[in-house]
Amino acid sequence: MNYRFDWAIVTSGKYFDWLVSGLYVTIKLSVVSIALSFLVGLVIAMMRMSHVRPVRWFAHGYLEFFRNTPLLVQIFFWYFGSYKILPRVVNDWMVRQDFEFTAAVIALTIYTSAFIAEDIRSGVRSIPKEQMEAARSSGFSYVRSMRYIILPQAVRLTIPPLINQFLNLMKNSSLAMTIGVAELMYQARQVESYTFKGFEAFTAATVVYLGLSFLITGLMTLYDKMVLQPIKGH
Amino acid sequence: MARKIGLLVMALAMVGAMCGAALAGDTLAEVKKKGVLVAGVKDSLPPFGSVDPKTKEFVGYDIDFVKYIAKKLGVKVEYKPVTSANRMPMLMEGRVDILAATMTKTPERAKQIDFSYTYFLTGQKFLTKKGTVHSLKDLQGKKIGTAKGSTSEQNVKKAVPSATVLSFDDYPQGVLALQQGKVIAVTTDESILAGQLGKLQKNPATKGKFEIPDIQISSEPYGLGMRKGDTNLEKFVDATLLEMEKNGEAKKIFERWFGPNTDSPIKRGKFKITADRMGLE
Amino acid sequence: MVGGLDFSVVRENLPYFFLGRYPKGPLGGVALTLYLAVVSLVLSFLGGLILGLLSVSRNRLIKWGSTAVIQTIRGMPLLMVIFWMFFLLPAMLGSGMSADWTIITALTLFTSSYMSEIVRAGILGIPKGQMEAAVSTGLSHKQAMTYVILPQALRNMIPSFVNQFVSMIKDTSLAFIVGVSELTHIATQMNNRTMLYPTEIFLFIAVIYFIMCFAFTELSRWLERRSAWRKSI
Repeated sequence: MNYRFDWAIVTSGKYFDWLVSGLYVTIKLSVVSIALSFLVGLVIAMMRMSHVRPVRWFAHGYLEFFRNTPLLVQIFFWYFGSYKILPRVVNDWMVRQDFEFTAAVIALTIYTSAFIAEDIRSGVRSIPKEQMEAARSSGFSYVRSMRYIILPQAVRLTIPPLINQFLNLMKNSSLAMTIGVAELMYQARQVESYTFKGFEAFTAATVVYLGLSFLITGLMTLYDKMVLQPIKGH
Repeated sequence: MARKIGLLVMALAMVGAMCGAALAGDTLAEVKKKGVLVAGVKDSLPPFGSVDPKTKEFVGYDIDFVKYIAKKLGVKVEYKPVTSANRMPMLMEGRVDILAATMTKTPERAKQIDFSYTYFLTGQKFLTKKGTVHSLKDLQGKKIGTAKGSTSEQNVKKAVPSATVLSFDDYPQGVLALQQGKVIAVTTDESILAGQLGKLQKNPATKGKFEIPDIQISSEPYGLGMRKGDTNLEKFVDATLLEMEKNGEAKKIFERWFGPNTDSPIKRGKFKITADRMGLE
Repeated sequence: MVGGLDFSVVRENLPYFFLGRYPKGPLGGVALTLYLAVVSLVLSFLGGLILGLLSVSRNRLIKWGSTAVIQTIRGMPLLMVIFWMFFLLPAMLGSGMSADWTIITALTLFTSSYMSEIVRAGILGIPKGQMEAAVSTGLSHKQAMTYVILPQALRNMIPSFVNQFVSMIKDTSLAFIVGVSELTHIATQMNNRTMLYPTEIFLFIAVIYFIMCFAFTELSRWLERRSAWRKSI
């Protein structure tokens, strides 16, 4: 009956600083990974719709494999296991970088890009086929019709699921703590093991995660109101 | 309503947290009644605690101490794997009755749980690639691996403030990072490092490439952890430990895991189990 | 160290990967992964149904309250939910709950909040006219929900449920962090012990997870196609 709450440790001083630095790493990790995931996802989606069979198969395999494997296992694989399959040069370069962060970014990017690629593909599919045909018949090449006609529309439709993937990614980034990336969850646990004030540390981290989540959800609502509704209205 | 539910959840949580602190009862009597002693141990940290790949049984220095205590109590043992980060909560929440998990006695920890007499004494050192580290200076500004929530983590931050300390869930992951060149050293108690070095020496690919330089940054007395105020169990365990020293069992266990012919040879030196208060002041 | 991959460590420990210490100790490995996933899924189905029904309740207080709970859980990483359960449950319920069941509770709470959205969407997806028609034939609102709306909604939800099962299998890997010996824990344990085969070990369990998940992904697709075909006739 003698648990004494001590909220001061998470609202100021050294442990507060730890949590803030954790928040910073969580945001950095999420933003870098979502940007890369979008690029990789775009490429994979294009490959998935390619007319060249092996390219299409590769993309299909990529999608299925990485979507159906736990992210945690992928993180361990890239952190501990990648040195045997990557060329020496690449591995040496990675070791000189912030390896933990890099491995987390790679794992999060590959995992998330597989989901984003599917979102982009269904965005493209929702653009009527006639548009492509019209573009082609007016002299555009396949690539140029994609680039100038289809993709711009598809991307606009893909933004809401993309924001949703960003939300997932932000939450998933907590798994990076397992390989020593000092993000928010890692710091919360550090505070707990140094102070034994788990209740306070976890509450603080939970509040921050909820804040981030609601911020991102708000972004989605805003996009829907400002961009999508006016388009649909026409 | 949302606010009400929020309040209710908070209230429940607080009540819960307070009850949690009041868990300690008479574990000794309960263990005897159940016929099982639940021990929190490491499951992949030879020579202290690991699962033997052939028999699938837990084995190690910590395990042998638990076994002896249980035998004396006349009960069976159930092992629960713990990590450095979760072992104290596991004990305080009542998921295990006793911790035998390479745990250093410290005054901070002693505020949360009680410790037995010291059953193992070691010091914190570094495991490195051969010839890379000669003194603490060589570690400045480098990455050093260790385990979350351990005393090693706190000690090394004090000893080499300019280094980046990377904390893993447990030590072997740090050693893996060392092998792959991601950290320059792994730091923890010499006894654990000796076990890891032993594993590296057994493998032709890594044999002779690693060493433990003679740099010690702290002294680490290990104690068995029990819930605060669990007096009967503590008395029993302490008495048993003294008995083990007296009848030579403690030394036998030490020789079994750290003797000259083992994978992790270190010297017991002058260490004996006594009614000590090492690490607690 | 660099060179070809050597899977002998996997071959030699195959039973350990699939069953853990069983029969010498408790069940672990793949078997425990499936056990955790199946039990949590069944419970999440019930939890999701309850939360989903509450969130479309006509009583505003219930509706807002349940929505607040759902949104709070959805706003947290699963890892956070797991830590909370490990921290709070023993404090509230004493030490009686095993680690397996603590994980099951965390997974259930987390997945229920996602399932409730599926349930809600399923219910809202049934045309309003049906409810009105059912009520006008003399059924109470509750009866109409139970006998008319829910059965249709549930049928439409089946593919999404199967998809949730795939997520659930993947999510069980987080149990490793709290020392529950499911597949990922066994793999890290093996990795800690041998230290030379991380690539082989994690590749192997990735493939095992893939096989389990892909089978259910395909099942969900097949169900979706079937229900689309059914609707078209």
